[in-house]
Amino acid sequence: MNGYNFAYLDEQTKRMIRRALLKAVAIPGYQVPFGGREMPMPYGWGTGGMQLTAAILGADDVLKVIDQGADDTTNAVSIRAFFERVAGIETTTVTPAASVIQTRHRIPETPLEPGQILVFQVPIPEPLRFIEPSEQETRLMHALEEYGVMHVKLYEDIARHGHIATTYAYPVKVDGRYVMDPSPIPKFDNPKLDMSPALLLFGAGREKRLYAIPPYTHVESLDFEDHPFEIQRWEARCALCGSAESFLDEVITDDAGGRMFVCSDTDYCLTRRGELS
Amino acid sequence: MYVAVKGGERAIANAHRLLADRRRGDRDQAELEVGQIQAQLRLAVDRVMSEASLYDPELAALAIKQASGDMIEAVFLLRAYRTTLPRLAVSEPLDTGAMRIERRISATYKDIPGGQVLGPTYDYTHRLLDFLLLAGGEAPAAEPGEQPLAPCPQILELLDAEGLIERERDDGTEPCDITRDPPDYPVDRATRLQMLARGDEGYLLALGYSTQRGYGRNHPFAGEIRQGQVEVEIFVEEWGETVCVGEIALSECQMINQFGGSREAAPQFTRGYGLAFGHNERKTLAMALVDRALRAEELGEEVQGPAQQAEFVLAHADNVEASGFVSHLKLPHYVDFQSELELLRRLRQEYEAGRHGACQEVDSPETTTDERTATSGDHP
Amino acid sequence: MLWPTLNDPVHDSQRLFRQLLSAMSEPGTLHTLEAPSPPGGELGPALWGTLLTLCDLDTRVWLAPELDGPALREALALHIGCRLTAKPADADFALVTPAVLAEAREFALGSDEYPERSTTLLVALDTLEPAGKWRLSGPGIADRRQLGLGDAAGPLMSRLVANRDRFPCGLDAILTCGPRLAALPRSTRIEEVA
Repeated sequence: MNGYNFAYLDEQTKRMIRRALLKAVAIPGYQVPFGGREMPMPYGWGTGGMQLTAAILGADDVLKVIDQGADDTTNAVSIRAFFERVAGIETTTVTPAASVIQTRHRIPETPLEPGQILVFQVPIPEPLRFIEPSEQETRLMHALEEYGVMHVKLYEDIARHGHIATTYAYPVKVDGRYVMDPSPIPKFDNPKLDMSPALLLFGAGREKRLYAIPPYTHVESLDFEDHPFEIQRWEARCALCGSAESFLDEVITDDAGGRMFVCSDTDYCLTRRGELS
Repeated sequence: MYVAVKGGERAIANAHRLLADRRRGDRDQAELEVGQIQAQLRLAVDRVMSEASLYDPELAALAIKQASGDMIEAVFLLRAYRTTLPRLAVSEPLDTGAMRIERRISATYKDIPGGQVLGPTYDYTHRLLDFLLLAGGEAPAAEPGEQPLAPCPQILELLDAEGLIERERDDGTEPCDITRDPPDYPVDRATRLQMLARGDEGYLLALGYSTQRGYGRNHPFAGEIRQGQVEVEIFVEEWGETVCVGEIALSECQMINQFGGSREAAPQFTRGYGLAFGHNERKTLAMALVDRALRAEELGEEVQGPAQQAEFVLAHADNVEASGFVSHLKLPHYVDFQSELELLRRLRQEYEAGRHGACQEVDSPETTTDERTATSGDHP
Repeated sequence: MLWPTLNDPVHDSQRLFRQLLSAMSEPGTLHTLEAPSPPGGELGPALWGTLLTLCDLDTRVWLAPELDGPALREALALHIGCRLTAKPADADFALVTPAVLAEAREFALGSDEYPERSTTLLVALDTLEPAGKWRLSGPGIADRRQLGLGDAAGPLMSRLVANRDRFPCGLDAILTCGPRLAALPRSTRIEEVA
């Protein structure tokens, strides 16, 4: 694109992000502050993920962008179009065909492969933020590995509801050290973080933090012995492909309470239905 | 048969065309020119430049036109453009003492060297709609002053000579650049002032106002407000000297606040500082109030009000960040919502089952008072 | 003789960075960098390519005395523009050999609050092989991985082994030998096996 560098960001900014990414990978789950830049899209709409994608993307990459698991949601379409325009790279909707996948709120159902990179868009990177709003305090809590408050919060849920009431952005512990927010993915996706063969990168643009989980890293969802972590389950199957294993979106079909459940991962669903060549 | 929604791309393209059409509006009206906005909506232009941290009146006017007058959108447009600009040089510190004055007032002294100069201000206008403007009446040209206004001393310098007011010292520390480095709380005053300077005017106004109403009161006097042109200089290494590269319009407010003092230090007035591009007096007053409020800890004052809590004030001052994150609620959240639905249904089933069980055992209404409303989660 | 730089700074540095990212993500894996070779031979293409990819005027670099020289300094000034520092503890990157690490020099280890504010060691080695007496495990390693670094690597490895006890503070190392490169971040558990 005229007047802009490859993948939009200038080289100095890319180097700054790249250096931060190497530190993030070296300290799994730790949020590295970085000099986040304004992107030509609003904060909160994926600018963190986009800056990471822009910093790692090369001419030979094949990019997939999903939002809520789908390739065709408006923001996914918009981000994909942005990179097509500023980097001229090939894009795809097919999970195994992508070398870099930028995502908001889901991990694809199709298992990721070694060498793939999944870039998460993160709104609030600090898992302790809703317990302690001050950054100075939460930084200290991470430094001292003081995570008791998080367990207290989860346990209060159990006392009140009989269940842990966190259903997405469910906190995890990375390699036995840092408590980390996996971004607002449903807890259904949490098990996919553990020993993933793909590199997982997380970018929070407005909060100016990035973090990472290297491949083959132990990631456990916080829980209690008497209340082990469990994922969502549905009584229904996908109405389109019949999958009983995927995360389902509820679709309201009429104004008389009619509803159906379909896969949130559109590529997975289409592939199962044999509609992709 | 249900087919998943498609065609996001076409919907977006059509939305953009519709937006351009609405922006142009009634074709019977002449199209607004950027030059007109720059010349006639100059306070809007100044605000956009301040909050975008880029001094370029023409592009600010373009941003206002492109944003159909939505100021935060215009700030965002200019900010996003600013990020892509190369950094050619760093200017020398501006000398507002050498300002070519257009307006300059003090609320602390009746008569001051250089005089009180009202300049172009809305202050004493009666807020009566001017129907002449509606009818397209011509504004009379301003009469030139009897003599050009010379640079004049800053009022606080006069107090400074007497030792009545704390001195500002340049300790030579290289200031952090908030457009390059993430804030590392607690931040120093230089960083804070940068964040306030690009902070949302309405937000700072409300916070400043709150200090006046007792939430962290700091007894302010508008020591001096000045507006005018200031030269921007850069040091050219090859020539070994500074050269002027242009002039920018600035508004500055120096607030005088109640004194500190201790057994070791004589009591002195303290200061709050506000600066903005162009003509933006309200912003500088509000900024000076908040700057002073944020010095509470440094000056050994009790933190009583929101305006004194640095991390709270600074982390939420940027309207481009705030607007983006608030409006991201418009993005799909199907997956998170579905997660909540699944849990809520389960909780309600268990609640119903528990209630039936309890009714069969002992017919006690108390068991139903157990509240089982699901807490709304932390919204991403 | 002039030191070479990247032919295509945008795309070459992206390609080299992805190899570095891959090396750091999967500690102990070997990568061959296609980067220009500096004259002299003290610095291989992998080390020079890493400097060209990661460093600029925002980074402070410390040079081990045995690698320091006018040609390297000129090349750094011309192609990279990084700031040189005399204190290893101020360095974002330190250009070292294992022998230098035997001396009592303090590099930045970061703090518990900001562990990333630490020096990354860029190490010039004589040996870098996928088999040897160093056994690696931890993040990025599915099971175990072996690395051979030659006899001279002792002082380097004793520093990296010590990372475990001060985590999250610590040193991250990028190991190079000619065009070959591997990384040992602080998260890696390192054992010496017979």
